[in-house]
Amino acid sequence: MTSPARLSDPGTHWEVADPERLATAIRLRAVRMVAAQGFGYLGQALSCAEQVAALFSVARPGADRIVCSPGHYVIAFYAAAAEVGLIPEHALDGYGQDGSALEAIGTERSPLFDYVAGSLGQGLSAAAGLALSDRLRARQVRTFALVSDGELEEGQVWEAAMFAAHHRLSALTVLVDANNSQVDGPVDTITTIEPVAAKWASFGWEPVELDGHDVRAVSLALAGARAASRPVALICRTSTAHGLDCLPPDADGHFIKLPPELAVAELTGRLERARA
Amino acid sequence: MREPPYQTVLKPYGQALVELARRRDDVLCLSGDLTRQCEIDLFAGAFPDRFIHAGMAEANMIGVAAALARCGHIPFVHTFGVFATRRPLDQIINAVACPRLPVRIVGFMPGVSSPGGPSHQAIDDVALMRCVPGMTVIDIADAVQAGQVCDAIVDLPGPVYLRLKRGEIPVIFDNGHHLALDHADVLTSGADVALFASGMMLAPSLAAAAVLAGHGIGVSVVNVPVIKPLDEATVTRVSSACKVVLTAENHLITGGLGSAVAEVLAESGAARPLRRIGLRDTFAEGAGTAPYLFGKYGLSTQSIVEGAWHALGLPGAAPEADVADAGAGEYSPV
Repeated sequence: MTSPARLSDPGTHWEVADPERLATAIRLRAVRMVAAQGFGYLGQALSCAEQVAALFSVARPGADRIVCSPGHYVIAFYAAAAEVGLIPEHALDGYGQDGSALEAIGTERSPLFDYVAGSLGQGLSAAAGLALSDRLRARQVRTFALVSDGELEEGQVWEAAMFAAHHRLSALTVLVDANNSQVDGPVDTITTIEPVAAKWASFGWEPVELDGHDVRAVSLALAGARAASRPVALICRTSTAHGLDCLPPDADGHFIKLPPELAVAELTGRLERARA
Repeated sequence: MREPPYQTVLKPYGQALVELARRRDDVLCLSGDLTRQCEIDLFAGAFPDRFIHAGMAEANMIGVAAALARCGHIPFVHTFGVFATRRPLDQIINAVACPRLPVRIVGFMPGVSSPGGPSHQAIDDVALMRCVPGMTVIDIADAVQAGQVCDAIVDLPGPVYLRLKRGEIPVIFDNGHHLALDHADVLTSGADVALFASGMMLAPSLAAAAVLAGHGIGVSVVNVPVIKPLDEATVTRVSSACKVVLTAENHLITGGLGSAVAEVLAESGAARPLRRIGLRDTFAEGAGTAPYLFGKYGLSTQSIVEGAWHALGLPGAAPEADVADAGAGEYSPV
């Protein structure tokens, strides 16, 4: 099995039977991916697991475009892709290791995405460009972009937000992972970005604020965005520690150090109980 | 080759882009709120559906253009050189250059051709773009070249930075001139001075060569429209056949044509005494006219004559360069 270049490439196919279970599986796989080193971008996977699970449930395989603006989040997409059979399981073992195609911060070499970048704040512009191209060519596909709340500090995000709204790129839907986490600490202690939903609204978008760990709500909102006449921003309120109780209370959300055995046991147990 | 004062024309690039777009429906045109200034009001009128206002938001404009290129379009992105290179450098590197996308970044108003002060004077754009892996860097000298450059670059692999004069564009070359991107053009032959010139410094270089010829000094003037990848063979060959080497650029002497030539000469072992004509570790200033700035910052015909004179170790003062008077609609170098 070879990894698909992009999830949007024609012929790519996958199915998601149970989005909630996929979210937990993303967490388990992400824990294993960072376990080799005992640390890594696990907090990103924990906060966006439901969003990625919902995306894999709603996006049309081989058609809709996926943009991951913060390259540190690729861990969750790799985990999901392995879970649905798009990436060989053993490839995840190399995540972030020397010579691996699965770099820890997404790059041009990374599979799955229509665009991913490690220099933050750039993904929404790419997503707008992709959506614009699709409209120029009358292609009936959607573009989904994951953007992190820390990225909202970058001016380019708002340049892109204005551009997308002005050009009425209604095929574009953004997931804002509002996990209140950035390198230096909680976002709200670094820069006040609130009111996030009102900002998107004032920039001409249709904002939807929701519990980002409610996979059903996220899936419904993603599907519902199809009917909007403007681009839609889903403000997903999340936590970088969600779904992993064994983490210490002071875990650094951007770069988590974890007890791998406890984490694997906890998540494996949860998956087995769900199956039972 | 014509003689100064040169006749000028308006919007040769803008017309050429429209002509290209008639033949190529993959060509798109983006503007960063400088549509008329970048001659693309012509494109907006001819192909409104393929013209995209990006507004005053260069980072986003580059990101959008990169995504369009990723989808198979050939986006030509327009603004002034300062805004095209300084502001979105990270976007150019990450979104365009790293994936080697065919985005054509067109920066108007090079160097001190703008009297608008340091914020508007692209004195470092060539250096910034030259250090980006895979970027082709082109500095166009006249209207004949400007009329051919769209066709010349549309199918080049990877990104291109194109530097263009704004406003009245002099016609220096004969109509039969062919803009070649794979080699520099040796325009005059002389065995004393190898003079490599790009963009707006071609005109004063030709004028300086004429002054020096009048004093028995032979100058090989080489027009270098493509600064990267540089035609190293011609640089080495012409330099080896001369006593001294000069470069002339409407730009800082660091990072641009002068640096590129110096690197080639040093590595080839063909080193000659070298004088680089350009801005010397300084910003320029706001002023009333561009000619004042070309004179003040050492970008004049006289500066080139003196550079050659002193590089050759000739005694006494360098000869005075007469500057051709330019009437309305004409162009003469300072």
